[in-house]
Order: sequence, then C-alpha cells, then structure tokens
Amino acid sequence: MLPVFDVVLAAAILVSAALALWVRDRIAAVSGFLVTGLLVSLSWLRLGAPDVALAEAAIGAGLTGALLLRSAHRIPCAPSKALPPSLWCAAGALAIAISGAIVWTVTSFGAAPVYPSLVADNLPESGAQNPVTAVLLNFRAWDTLLEIAVLFVALTVVIMVAPARPRTAPLGPLVQPFARVLLPLTVLIGGHLLWQGGHAPGGAFQAGAVLAGGAIALGLSGVIGSKLTRQNGLALLAIAGLAIFALAALAAEVLTGALLGYPAGEAKTWIIAIESALTLSIAATLFLLFFGPAERH
Amino acid sequence: MISEYAFLATGAGLVGLALLRLATSADLLMRVLGLNVLAVGIAMLLLVSGMGASGTDAVPQAFVLTGIVVLVGVTAVLLALAERIAEDRDE
Repeated sequence: MLPVFDVVLAAAILVSAALALWVRDRIAAVSGFLVTGLLVSLSWLRLGAPDVALAEAAIGAGLTGALLLRSAHRIPCAPSKALPPSLWCAAGALAIAISGAIVWTVTSFGAAPVYPSLVADNLPESGAQNPVTAVLLNFRAWDTLLEIAVLFVALTVVIMVAPARPRTAPLGPLVQPFARVLLPLTVLIGGHLLWQGGHAPGGAFQAGAVLAGGAIALGLSGVIGSKLTRQNGLALLAIAGLAIFALAALAAEVLTGALLGYPAGEAKTWIIAIESALTLSIAATLFLLFFGPAERH
Repeated sequence: MISEYAFLATGAGLVGLALLRLATSADLLMRVLGLNVLAVGIAMLLLVSGMGASGTDAVPQAFVLTGIVVLVGVTAVLLALAERIAEDRDE
C-alpha cells in the first residue's frame, strides 16, 4: 500500500511544481509553490527525515511562501517575449540531460556510507539524543555558527536595501479573539519544538520559524503595531544569536582548547543554552526579513 | 525500493523543471521561485542518497536543514533587491 502512496505523492509533487513554475497568475504560482512545499515535507517524512520535514513545512513552504506573496505584486512582470523554439529545445534537452545524469550518478554510486556509524558511536557524549541535533550543534556546530552568520548578513543586506513595508490590514473587533488563540499556540508549539529537539524531531530552527510565523500573522493583522517593529530592540535580538553563539565558541576554546568543543559531561547544558538563544534570534531575524527594517530615511 | 526510486525521480525531475524555468524566464519573481524549487530538488536527492537500512543518515539531514535556512535568507535578499530594482525603474 505505501509504495503506491509514495508513487502518487511523487507524481503530485512534480505536477504541483510544474504548475507553480508555469502558471501565469502570480498568486496561483505562489500557491502552487506552497502546495509543493507541503507535499515535499510529507515525502521527507516518508524518507525518514522528520526534522527536515518540519523545517521545510515551516520555513521552506510557510515563510518563503509569505515572502513571495509579499513581493508578488511589487515586482512587475517582465515583458514576455516568446523565445525561439530552438532555444526552448536546447534548454529542455539540457535540463533532461542534467536530470538523467543525476539519476545515473545516484543509482550507480555504491560506496557504503561512513557517517551513520560515526554518529551512532559518538551520540552518547554529544549531549543530545536526536542525531540531527547532535550533528547540528555538536559534531558540526561550526557549520551552524556560519549559517547564523549567513542569516545575519542577509538581514544586513535587507536593512540596507530597505524594501517598502508590507501593508497591514487591521482585523477590527476580531483582533482580540484571533490573538488570544494564535499567541499562546505559537509560544506553546515553539517552546515544545525547542525542548523536544534534544531527543526527538524538532530544534531551534523549527521553533524559531514557528515563532516568526505567528509574529508575522499578528503583524499583518495589525496586533503588533508598527511602533514595536520600528524599535531597535528587535534588531538587537536578531544579532544576539550570532553574538552568543560566537561567545560560546570562544568560551569553549578557553575551557577545553577546542573551538566549540564543549566541556565533557556538560554538553547538554551548552546545547540548550545556545539553542534557546538561537530560537529567539532566528524568530526576530525571520520577522525582520519579512517586514523590513524601520521606515526608509 | 519502489519508493526510493520514485523520490529519486522526483528530486531529479524538480531539478530539471527548475533549470528549464530558470533558463527560459526573464521574470525576476519566477526566477526566485525557480531557485527555491531547484534547492528543494537537490535537498530531496541528498535525503534519498542518505537512506539506509538503519534509518536516514543524520549528516545529510543536517546539511539539508542548514540549506533550508540559508535559502530563506537568500530569498529574502533577492526579493528585496528585485523590489528595489522595480522601484528605480519606475522613477
């Protein structure tokens, strides 16, 4: 039964992606992209990667879809000149060749993977029972530090470019009931994902994305006033994640002589402290990436 | 086994579709969307190749997670730049 489900799911992903890429109406294209993202996250559950599926649903489909929707009417359509058929054929042939080469490479690659046994052997000392969290915040914490730096650079560029702020639509009398449901739910799910990340699927990125998604919904409905988003506090919170992670790396260097080598037996405390800081900082960063910085000068 | 091949074909298909769209479109928003589909396809390939008897390899999973977060930053920057380009053309 499940192979049938997988084949249908795979076909649905391809069809919705093709729709998203070729449909003329932009709102329909972004909706198609959202559907593709959700179907893809379902397929990643089937591939045994629930952490990544959560992140794809929250960040890849949710927040990226919101960003694309925000920009859909602000970026004018390019004048559509019909391409000569020869160019179309060449591009199509090249795309098919690349896809074929990928399939051939993956199917003919026979070497046994080296990472699973290494991860399994070192998991007890890592301070996390979830292997993905262990890789992200202990074995390859250096990558995650640089990833936070990338988010920081992206925020800097967005603040310098300063796109126009999205227009908010106040909900009127519905604001209170909406916020009463959304706010506790967001905080609860975010906190749960963060805490759960140590031993089950979840973690700082998923939790931060959920918090950011809730904050963006509240911001768009006019609950979070523009005064709050204009304060520098939010930008400081966004930067704090990188600062705390970098400080932790240096502190670990002083204590153990290895960059990001946590002291033996205390890894769990370090990871939870870093993850908590990252969650708030990622939420603030994603919120600012959507709403843009203060008013343009 | 069938599932694995289905998702492998999906990953390769997504990469092909996105490359075709990127090569034939001059529309800035569609290019950003195409880049996102391309990244999803590549992530799918990484996850499929990380599948094994004892569960999916955690290292490619961590790569894909990092990639998703980096991609949302890249998307935000590209869209901000595209909006700014559109404004400057209007003036």
